[in-house]
Amino acid sequence: MANLPQAYPVLRRVGFRWALTLAIACGALLIFFPFFWMAVTSLKTAPEIQRVPLQIAPDNWLNFSNYIEVFRREPFWRYLLNSAIVASVAAVSSVVVSSLAGFGFAKYQFPGRDVFFLAIVGILMVPFQSVVVPLYVWINDLGLLDTYAGIVAPDLVSVFGVFLMRQAIETIPNDYIDAARIDGASELRIFFLVILPSVKPAIATLLIIKFMWSWNEFFWPMVVTTSPQMKVVTLGLTSFTNMYFIEYNLLTAAAVLSILPILVIFVTLQRWVVQAVVMSGLKG
Amino acid sequence: MREWYRLAFPKNYLDRRKRAGFLFVLPALVFFASVYLVPLAQSVMYSFYKIAPGGAREFAGLGRYERVLTDPTFWNAVGNTVQLLLISVPATVVLALAVALGLNRISNLKWRNVWASMYFLPFATSLVAAALIWQWIYEPVYGFLNYALSFVGIPPQKWLQSLSQVRPAIGAISVWVRIGFDVMIFLAALQTIPGEYYEAADIDGANALQRLRYITLPMLNPQIVMVCILELIFNFKIFDQVYATTQGGPGGASQTIIMLLYDTAFKFFRFGDASVMAVFVFVTLMAVTLLQWRIFRKPIQY
Repeated sequence: MANLPQAYPVLRRVGFRWALTLAIACGALLIFFPFFWMAVTSLKTAPEIQRVPLQIAPDNWLNFSNYIEVFRREPFWRYLLNSAIVASVAAVSSVVVSSLAGFGFAKYQFPGRDVFFLAIVGILMVPFQSVVVPLYVWINDLGLLDTYAGIVAPDLVSVFGVFLMRQAIETIPNDYIDAARIDGASELRIFFLVILPSVKPAIATLLIIKFMWSWNEFFWPMVVTTSPQMKVVTLGLTSFTNMYFIEYNLLTAAAVLSILPILVIFVTLQRWVVQAVVMSGLKG
Repeated sequence: MREWYRLAFPKNYLDRRKRAGFLFVLPALVFFASVYLVPLAQSVMYSFYKIAPGGAREFAGLGRYERVLTDPTFWNAVGNTVQLLLISVPATVVLALAVALGLNRISNLKWRNVWASMYFLPFATSLVAAALIWQWIYEPVYGFLNYALSFVGIPPQKWLQSLSQVRPAIGAISVWVRIGFDVMIFLAALQTIPGEYYEAADIDGANALQRLRYITLPMLNPQIVMVCILELIFNFKIFDQVYATTQGGPGGASQTIIMLLYDTAFKFFRFGDASVMAVFVFVTLMAVTLLQWRIFRKPIQY
């Protein structure tokens, strides 16, 4: 009993910690709820989702008929494939061009280098929507409307990629590069044999985040695609919406299919993604 | 001039190396010039010219600007965008800051990661999918939100179909999507604050509020400014969420600038008018960014 006054602050601290954890956990569950609700709805039948009062659990937890229906109504495999193609090309090209540029900016002296780099930084200030009309005209003139090339064109490189790779390559000691030069390696050979292997983490980071960004892209694909078989998955989702009547059981099933690939990547490789985001933010 | 000549026609080993460096950055330069710089210049040009279907150009001066900038539809879209922004930007930043501070205090690393990744999840989701999930939650008759609110005695609301609720409802979607991004940035920044500062404050007898006011917030100042700018830019360009759900409705109550730009350009094919809006968006965002840097970028004092 005599110890109680001393134990007081400790007790208060423990209480505070619990309250804090509880608040954070509640917030997290609140944020997570829409995902849960989407998944649950996708397992319900049309009459089930219109039940009053609302029932949270589906009658049958293994009712995948909505998913089958999604593939029957729309060429949804094609949408997923299109997104996968576009996002992969964007990710790989972004890594190639950005690492070349990153190497150039980090390890070479040439006239105009700093001006060019500042110009690329300045690009961050140009919203994509401000250039979309002329880009559309270009793509139209080149005959690339409704093609993969047209969809992926403005997405091939991002400013963030150049930043990231420059940052990563800067940390490679110059001695390595000089040693390779003394051994008679050409500049391009140095790039492939010295530079690329030393920045694997940055490459992985860029691949992941760029894939994610391109997969989620909506505005530009909508501008350049006209035919159903060239739709990417974000566009495919909107084909389940309609001004007057939306079958939410199908829509949520389609949404699960569109989100799942990216969510799996995100959760398994979260550490890389977070690192990339933080870097993109800190550089932005 | 001489420099450039030698870059094109290298004389010695050092010049060749300079050329190699230039060639390495060349693909990126060409890309950014052709996707951003040249089209931006074209946007500006389109906004001043009348372009006949055959391609004949006629200088129209500021006539087009006058037409667009006196159009009530345009100012309605600007007004809606600003209202949306005033809802979502402060809410996102303040909530994210609170969550990050809370997460940072959770000492069990495993659980901290679990909670943190739940906050990050919406960030990985496409805006379209996010908006459509929320549209289902907002559904007036069968939606979950009205169901949940019925337990606290609130009658069913129309949310996205209501003139007055549509903007807060869409704003909430933006908050949900963006909070994870901001939390990531704040959390990373919080972890770089040296522990000695807090120890010193403890010795001086500072309480939790004082520590927050005099150490944490000043140390986070650069990140807070940055996140505010990024959120402002993100919310100013709001499009996907609106297009997927309300398409600007009901009655233009959720029409935003980029929605209007999209409709003008790709529904009505009035490229000139759309270019005026494009220039407006570019100039506004640049002005806001520069202004915000000037106002908020104070030197950090201890």
